[in-house]
Parts: sequence; structure tokens; C-alpha cells
Amino acid sequence: MSVAQSLNYHIKFKLFGSRIVKWQANRAYKNFKEPKNWRSDILASPLKIGVKTKELITKHYLEGRYVNGVKPVAWVTSGAPVEILKALGFYILYPENHAALCGARRATLDISSEAENRGYSVDICSYARTDIGTMLSGKTPVGKLPKPDILLACTNICQTVLFWYRVLAKHYNVPLIVIDTPFLYDNAEPHQVEYVKNQLENSIETAERAAKKSLDFAKLKNVVKLSKEAAALWLEIMERGKNVPAPISVFDQFIHMALVVEKRGDAETVDFYANMLAEIDERIEKGIGAVVNEKKRLLWDNLPIWHKLRFLSEFLAERGVSVVASTYTNAWGELAPMIDVNNPIESLAKTYIHPILNRSAEYKLKVMERMIDEYKLDGAILHSDRSCKPYSMGQVDQRNRLVTQASKPALLLEADHSDPRSYADEQVKNRLNAFLEMLGV
Amino acid sequence: MSVPTRLEVVEKVRKDKKGVAAVFPIHYPRELFRAFGIHPIEVWGPPKVDTSPAMAHLQSYICSVVQSGLSFYLSGALDVADIILVPHCCDSLQGLGSILKGFVKKDRPVFTLYIPRGKRREDIEFLKEELKRLYENIAGFAGFKPTKDDLFDAVIKEEDADKLTLQAYEVHRKFKTSSSEFYRLIRLREYLPLVEFEKLVNEFIQKKYKPSGSVGVVFSGVLPEPMDVFSLVEESGGVVIDDDFASLRRRIYPLGESDDPFERMAQRILNAPPDAMKGSSFKDRENFLLDIVRNSSSKGVVFYNVKFCEPEKFYHPILKDSLKSANIRSIVVEVDINEPLPQQVKTRIRAFIETLKRG
Ligand code: SF4
Ligand code: SF4
Repeated sequence: MSVAQSLNYHIKFKLFGSRIVKWQANRAYKNFKEPKNWRSDILASPLKIGVKTKELITKHYLEGRYVNGVKPVAWVTSGAPVEILKALGFYILYPENHAALCGARRATLDISSEAENRGYSVDICSYARTDIGTMLSGKTPVGKLPKPDILLACTNICQTVLFWYRVLAKHYNVPLIVIDTPFLYDNAEPHQVEYVKNQLENSIETAERAAKKSLDFAKLKNVVKLSKEAAALWLEIMERGKNVPAPISVFDQFIHMALVVEKRGDAETVDFYANMLAEIDERIEKGIGAVVNEKKRLLWDNLPIWHKLRFLSEFLAERGVSVVASTYTNAWGELAPMIDVNNPIESLAKTYIHPILNRSAEYKLKVMERMIDEYKLDGAILHSDRSCKPYSMGQVDQRNRLVTQASKPALLLEADHSDPRSYADEQVKNRLNAFLEMLGV
Repeated sequence: MSVPTRLEVVEKVRKDKKGVAAVFPIHYPRELFRAFGIHPIEVWGPPKVDTSPAMAHLQSYICSVVQSGLSFYLSGALDVADIILVPHCCDSLQGLGSILKGFVKKDRPVFTLYIPRGKRREDIEFLKEELKRLYENIAGFAGFKPTKDDLFDAVIKEEDADKLTLQAYEVHRKFKTSSSEFYRLIRLREYLPLVEFEKLVNEFIQKKYKPSGSVGVVFSGVLPEPMDVFSLVEESGGVVIDDDFASLRRRIYPLGESDDPFERMAQRILNAPPDAMKGSSFKDRENFLLDIVRNSSSKGVVFYNVKFCEPEKFYHPILKDSLKSANIRSIVVEVDINEPLPQQVKTRIRAFIETLKRG
């Protein structure tokens, strides 16, 4: 660590930056106001905790600007078993979250064109293109991303991340840890879990070398405990959606899930979700629904369309439709019960092989059917995400089964999670209108 | 060269009271099936099938290999098979396996095989266990279990076929024989019984050739479909002299070392030429590609890419750079295995061969 880097970090982030962000957030929290142009006629006021979400995310990226040379930095995939790196004191960056943020801020086109101009095809996942674009050009709406000292790619969400992280590893010339998780067509077999466990154990040495310290197992247990608590609270929050009217919609969930992805394993994330749960319970007590006049309740499948969150939320709310549950946000909570704090490595292996994206299309359908039942839903929107083949393949059959077996209207909506070129406004409106008509709204 | 068609081979196998396995791309041990006396027939597409049946299950942004494979299955063309195997080699094949197992079930088992994305000790160990799982699955169907010796014997036979195939590549490189004919021959391994395949390859090796003056070009991609591209290259004065196709060169598995047949099969697959579908590193792929280009005194590489094949696309920019630094020209073209070669692709390939001819 150089003295200059350390001084910069302590002065610009610790002493000033993070305090200013916190002070601003506290003020905004105290004098909480709805944003301008908020459609309070159709939507409940935004959750106050949103101020905290913004604070924590801003602080996280702010720290990232100054962290190189002060803490070791790891870039990891969203479903990666991050706990070992956390326990070793790494600053963790999630390129997918960064790419989602670029999507929400409508910066994808500009940034991903940097990758496309370099030869990366538009048929590649737009998260990867965005991130490679940032890597090549430095462009990012958050100011600057820290350079990685190590990369961790886990294939439990897709194979795309493996290629994408190989590009990063070559560019930054840093070690890449691959945790390969065999896809589960059926239940996990012992040799599959054993394989993941072996890789986790073998990764420790590489991670320790990059961190320049040894892994403290007591610390690891604590991080695993905090991860479990955050995921469990997140699951509880989502389950509050079973109330009628639903106190939060998936559009809220898409925003507030950032922390369970990006900062799981931190104590402040657990506090954050405990506070969020309390605020939601308050809403329930007061009978407040996320959508003012909730008439129909829907399921969302697959990633969000980040660049159209506001539009979709308002379009549906105007018609009294609340999108209450989603297979995507659920994925960050449903595995909490699998985590065994006393048996960290083995239970991490078991947990991280089981995300919905690493399981069969038939299993995903069962999850949807269960959610439709438990959340008393009237239908489903399946976002057919051009960028994400692993999530989208099987949706045509899933939609048909929902219609024929569960007798629920279901719509397959073609778009892309962040590339606006795969989204046609008029077509989406027409399809949604026709679907809502079928629902009787 | 007169060779039986896939259907004729199936009829013959049936007559001999043997089982048939239909195998989707890409990596799997042929020897494991052969040890059970089950004849593996590979389903690479096939090209030029009516893909409308698959459109009832797949989005339009899924590659044509999967579109064709699923259509072929739905049309009943694979009903001749007793077993279906879907190796896990990419997100799209993963989806195909999932759809076959969950949504379009027929009264025959669909087995899967996960190919690990590495060649570390733990990857070999895992693949060994996966192969044992597959062995148990096939045994459940076949009603018996080949012994260790039977398995070993089958492995050695397949290793011999690999050696022979490499010799055929050498002859082809040396004499620049017709690429259409050479690749038609090598692709017969996708469905011919081993003995028949070896007989034809031996005939090819022993023939006398006059070296041709065509300019050599290497092709890289998943599979050489549409195959018309070989005649196009030849008409333009070139020859596809070697390849880095997942279906061909990347599946000439090296000899294994272990005495344990399962470990040996795992070693063979994981130590084979680098492949996007095994998550190989850029370095490994660069080295392999440069090696085959140099060994064949080729002057250029055509990345013959199936549209929507994401794994391959990730490698193109970096591989193109390495080729450029080694003064080797390259182009990327996109094809759909169900469509005739687009005019624009033809024009680009012709122009590319012209530039190679000019040196
Ligand atoms: S969006 Fe889909 S393809 Fe892209 S990184 Fe995420 S899981 Fe992988
Ligand atoms: S062509 Fe590419 S995407 Fe399609 S099945 Fe083959 S490897 Fe997968």
C-alpha cells in the first residue's frame, strides 16, 4: 500500500466522502419527500429506506474510486460464493450490478458500443458488453471502477460469465478463480456438491495470495452468518408480498435487492433489511399497497428491463396491476435456509449449486406455480430476455404450462435487460394491453 | 466414395440387435457407449431441416444447431434411438437438455453429462464421477455392466481411431487434397461404426496424391455447416487445409494415461485441444490456433460462426488480434446451418481467398 493511496482513501473516502453521503442521506431521510413527478395517484410513496439504499450503494462505489492499493479488490459474478473473499477483507465489485446500474441510467448503449467497436458481438449478453465497454474505455456513470486484484467467476448463473471473466483476466492480467457448478437437471448428487466444495477449498490459497493474508475461519463463519441473515430477511421481505394489497412490488424489489447481491456478508446489510422489513410491516398495518388501487396481482419472471422500470411500473399501476413476486428477486433469498454457519465451506458448496438459474426449466416452472399459488397471483409476465439465454430458454413451455395447467394468463414479453435496441415501446404497450384485457383490466 | 447413410447404419445396427444412442453436441466418450454395444450417432443439427417444430419451444435468438436438433427430435427422426444424450457444453445445450427432459418427453431416456470447465485435478476427478454416473444410467437401460477390461478395450480402440484421424489430417495437409472430400470423410465418424470408419480413413491415407497449388486456409468454429463452403473455397482456388472446429479437430482426443478407464476417458476429453465449450483460456486457444495455422503453412483463418453462438463470439476479438500480430489474416462470417450460404458471406470468403493468394 503506498502512502499516497492510503492518504487519498482516508481523506477522500473515509473522512469526507462517506460522511458527506451519510449526512445527505440522514437529511433526506428526516425530511423525506416524494420525488418530483411521482405518480402518487397510482403508486404508494416510495419506501423511505430507499434513501438508505442510495446511501449504501453510493458509498460502495465511492469507496471503489479510492480503494486500489488500500484493500485487495475482487470482481465477482452475482451468484459467486463471495464469503471467503469477504472474510479475507477484499473490496468486492459486482460487474453485473454495475452493468444493471448503467442500464437503469440508460448508459448501456454508449458504453457497450465501446465493446462492439472492438469486435464484441451484439449477440453477447449486454451485461458483459457493458462491462467490457467500461474496461476498454473507463466510461461509467459512477466515476471510476477500481482495478481488480483477483476475479471470481461462478458458473451457477450461466456460462457467459466464464468467457466474460476470461476477457477481464487477460486485460487486467490478474488471477481468475473459476468455481464451476454442474447444472442440475435433477437433484444435486453427492459428487456434484463435492466438486464445488473441492474447488472452494482449492481457491482459498489463490485468494490468500492476492489478499496477502491467511483466511481466519472464525471470520469466515461470521461472514457466512451475516450472509444468511441478510438473505433470510430479504426472503421475509419478499414474502410480505403475500398480503393483499401487496406492500411492495417487484419494481421496489429490483432496486432494493442491490444490497443482498452486492453487500451480503456485511453487518450493515443485515441492519438495512431489518429496517426495511419494519417499514414494510408498517405499511401492512396501515393497509398501504404498493399500487394504490390493486386489482390484479402478477408474477415477473427473469431479469428486469432496467431501462424501463419506471415506465412499466406506472403503466401497470395505472391499470391497477401490482407485480408482486418474481423468480429473479426470490433467487437471492430462497437459498438462505441451506446455509449452515457451522459448516461453512460445505454448506456454501451446497447453497451455491442450487440457484434457480442452475436448475432445470421444469424446476423453474414449479417455482412459478408455487409462487402463483402462495402469492394469490392472477397471471405472469415472462420477460424473454434476449441477452440471457439460460434464464429464457424453456419460457415458451413454461408460459404454455401456466396457461394450460395452472389456468393463469401468461405473457411472453420480448426485450433485453439493458440493451434498449431490443425493446420496442409500441409493441410492448400493445402486448401488455392485450394481456391486461385478458385479465379483465 | 460410397458410404451408407445414417439411416442405413441404424437399420444395420438394429438388425444386429444392438442399441442406438442419439448424441447431441459436443463432448462425450464414444467408447463408453461402444463398451455397451450401443452405437452412438451424433446429431449435429442436422442442417436444412424444417425448424418450425422447434419454434413452438424456442425463442428466435437461439442458435440454429439447437433449433435444428430440437426440430429433428420433435419430428420423430430420433425415435430410432433408444437413448438420447445431451452433453452440457453451453447455455443453449443446457436449455435443450432441460426442455427435452421436462417438456417434450418421449418414452426414451434422456441422459446428460456435465463437462467441467477446466482441466484441474478436481475437474478430472469430477468428470470421472460424471462418467460413472452415465455408465450406471446406460447400464440401467442395457441391463448389464461392461467389465473394466471391456471398457479399457473400448478406450484403446477409440484412441487408435484418434491417432488414425490425425494421420489423415497430416496427409490432407501435405497434399492439400479436396477439402470437400476430406471433411466428408472425417465427419463419417459422427455415425459410422468404428471399423468401417477406419477402413475408409486407411484407404484415404494410402492413396497417392499430387500436391495441389491451392492456397491453404484454416477454418474455426463449431461445425462446418453449411458444408457448401468447402466447394466455395475450392472454386476460389483455396483449400481448407486444417480446422479448429469443435465438431472435428477439437474432438480428436489425445491418449489418456491412467489405467482406470473412467479416469482415462476424463483425461482424454479434458486434455483435448482447447475449446470454448470447455471454457478454455485465451492463451490455450491462441496457441492451438497458431500451431495449426503454422503447421499447415496456411495464410489465413476464417471464423465460420453459427449465428447466436455466444461462446465462440467471446473469443473472436482476442484470437483475431493474436493472428494479426503473427501476420495471419482472418475474417469472421456468420451462418445459419439451416440457410444456404448468404451471398454476402460467399463474396467475403471469395475476396478473402483472393487476398491470401496475392500473399
Ligand atoms: S444476464 Fe444472463 S447471460 Fe448475462 S451474465 Fe446474467 S445470467 Fe449470464
Ligand atoms: S452452436 Fe454454439 S450456442 Fe449453439 S449449441 Fe453449439 S456451442 Fe452452443
